[in-house]
Amino acid sequence: MIPFDQILVQIVNGLVNGMILALVASGLTLIFGIMDIVNFAHGDLFMLGAYLGTTSFLVTGNFWVSLLTAVLSMAVLGLVFQAAALRPLLGRDPLTTILATFGISLVIQNYALWQYGPVPRRLPEPVTGHFQLFYVEYPWYRLVIALMSAAIIGGLYLFMKYGKHGIWIRATTQDRVMAEAMGIPVPWVHTVVFAIGAAMAAAAGVLFGPTVGINHAMGFDFTLRAFVVVVVGGMGNLGGSILASIFISLLESLATIWVSPAQAVIVSFVALILTLLVRPTGIFAPTPK
Amino acid sequence: MKLTEKWHDELWARDMWWSGKTTRRKFLGLSAAAAGAVGATMLVPAPWREAFGQAKPYKVGVLQPLTGAAAAGGKTALVGTQLATNRINKAGGINGRPIELVVADYESKPDVGRRKAEKLVVEDKVDVGEGGYLSNVCLACMPVFEEHKTVYMIGVCLDTTITTSKCNRYTFRPFDYAPSQAMAISPYLVKNLGKKWHIVFLDYAWGQSTRDAYIEQIKKNGGEIQGTTGIPLGTADMTAFISKITGSFDGLFAIMFGANAVTFTNQAYDLGLFKKAKYAGDGAVAESTHLAALGNKIEGFVGVNRYIPVLTKPLDTPYHKKFFDESKVLLKQMDPAGPDPDRYVQSNFEAMNFLKLGIQKSGFRGREDSMKLIEALEGMEVKESDDFPQGDKLLRREDHQAFLRQFIFDIKNVRHRLLDVVSRDKVVVPPACSFPKA
Repeated sequence: MIPFDQILVQIVNGLVNGMILALVASGLTLIFGIMDIVNFAHGDLFMLGAYLGTTSFLVTGNFWVSLLTAVLSMAVLGLVFQAAALRPLLGRDPLTTILATFGISLVIQNYALWQYGPVPRRLPEPVTGHFQLFYVEYPWYRLVIALMSAAIIGGLYLFMKYGKHGIWIRATTQDRVMAEAMGIPVPWVHTVVFAIGAAMAAAAGVLFGPTVGINHAMGFDFTLRAFVVVVVGGMGNLGGSILASIFISLLESLATIWVSPAQAVIVSFVALILTLLVRPTGIFAPTPK
Repeated sequence: MKLTEKWHDELWARDMWWSGKTTRRKFLGLSAAAAGAVGATMLVPAPWREAFGQAKPYKVGVLQPLTGAAAAGGKTALVGTQLATNRINKAGGINGRPIELVVADYESKPDVGRRKAEKLVVEDKVDVGEGGYLSNVCLACMPVFEEHKTVYMIGVCLDTTITTSKCNRYTFRPFDYAPSQAMAISPYLVKNLGKKWHIVFLDYAWGQSTRDAYIEQIKKNGGEIQGTTGIPLGTADMTAFISKITGSFDGLFAIMFGANAVTFTNQAYDLGLFKKAKYAGDGAVAESTHLAALGNKIEGFVGVNRYIPVLTKPLDTPYHKKFFDESKVLLKQMDPAGPDPDRYVQSNFEAMNFLKLGIQKSGFRGREDSMKLIEALEGMEVKESDDFPQGDKLLRREDHQAFLRQFIFDIKNVRHRLLDVVSRDKVVVPPACSFPKA
């Protein structure tokens, strides 16, 4: 008999982790959906965002200002990366863009190592304190991360649904040629989408930063998991990726009740393989008509 | 033009040869030729220099993870190697020959480590190997050095099996290992912090063998192990693991290092684990280089380490002060915050000095003399000095394992505070190695 408290603790864990993962994955899926680019540098944008947060915190001493500064700075950097390294590759073999993002990843990692040194950095959490969740003291800050992630993703959803430029992005996703024919500046849409993806990765990095030692290798774990949820949710499907993040995180968390968390990761890979075998378009993607 | 046997009698060559009279043209010409010859010797490749009799440097192949998950430790470890090399070369080298470091970055990956070790011995033709940080990489590289009959002086790797079940004649560990550390701190843990323990470890070679050593020693001292939790190396979010640590125990013992230690400490603190139980662990959890990243969450941590950056008795020696100050200068170049030296700096510094003494004693010329170097190092005993600021050491003949004193410390105001010193004779573990016959 599994104790009820263990199940509830793991559900809360799964939901919180799922929201952080959703924030990372939504940027990744947005970039893929619009540009057909598998962005291997996404985890490194997450890491660089966290580092920029520490720099900004040293100057301002305010976490929320640091979050905003890091997000804006990474958006600008995203513009530069896309314009300099990816825009010239538009329409080429997807392998070239994969290699380009892999190159960007190596550049960012080594830049972070050179600029910030190898020693982990600290970013203090803006909200301290705990509440009792059965047998564990749960930090309020983890709930703040989940809520902030939900707010950012919600903001993106509203922008995509009702904003003029959001409609441009959706139109470009649906039919690039037709969008261009209707006067939408498609190359610029690509650049801005990459900037939005980079900004979202940075937001996730800064929000997650206080729970870890910020280091140049922190993005790798998230990149791998984000790729799993993007495939399970449907490549390029924003809503699907968010649902898949929560689904996969909940599955993993509940599995830890019976097996070690290290073994629970297998659950997400089983879900990935099953998705590719049974429904390659993604579990949460609408059925093509 | 007719060729003549006495071509220097030709008109065009007349000014080039000494004819019994020094002209200004001849003087300037000869001076320029001499300066050119000196300059050219500085530019010629090393093999030509050797042919002309200049001191051939000892090539030391250094393996460190300078990128990837373990980069922080690898870069710090390299500082120790560089500091010792700078001192040796400044003092005229070893047997009149300078040291040349050939540094290889193994990117925190065992397969890359093995490949780089092969490159060092086959292509770079190093005389000896030094370094290593991740135990799984040391274990992967040891057979390469053995196969090429090259001495490998390990700088950091702590996995127990390196000098027990997987020992080989060419590998030396000139610092402590988990069985000694466990012997040093376990009585303190059980007597002062509590009887019931839960062990959290990094789930790879070093973490697993260290866990086993602590289980044995805590039980031997009358304690109990309530459970163990293994966390894979490089896990970014450890909450799933930490929230599974339940039950009743007095202390939580962590076997972690680097960014993993920072993440674990942060998240275990956030989940209120340190309110329930005392926090103790391997000294690598609270190395000086990442104390700032841990902040107040590491307050009260009790650990054991071969080196801590404190200058109080018995570490208030001029040797330690000199090592401390010189390390800080190099560490500041690596990290502008200028952290204090840690055990990785210390053990690599002393590893290079063991090599120095061995080379001096054996008259080692190159890899053909590896066996002479091994025989010189086996059973070597060193005293606390400029070369060994940590203290006296014995490099045991039977298993090439060093024995040294241990420091028990806690963290107060984000600084190390020395609680106790456990002498070398109290941490000697019987040898568990038999070298394969050469």
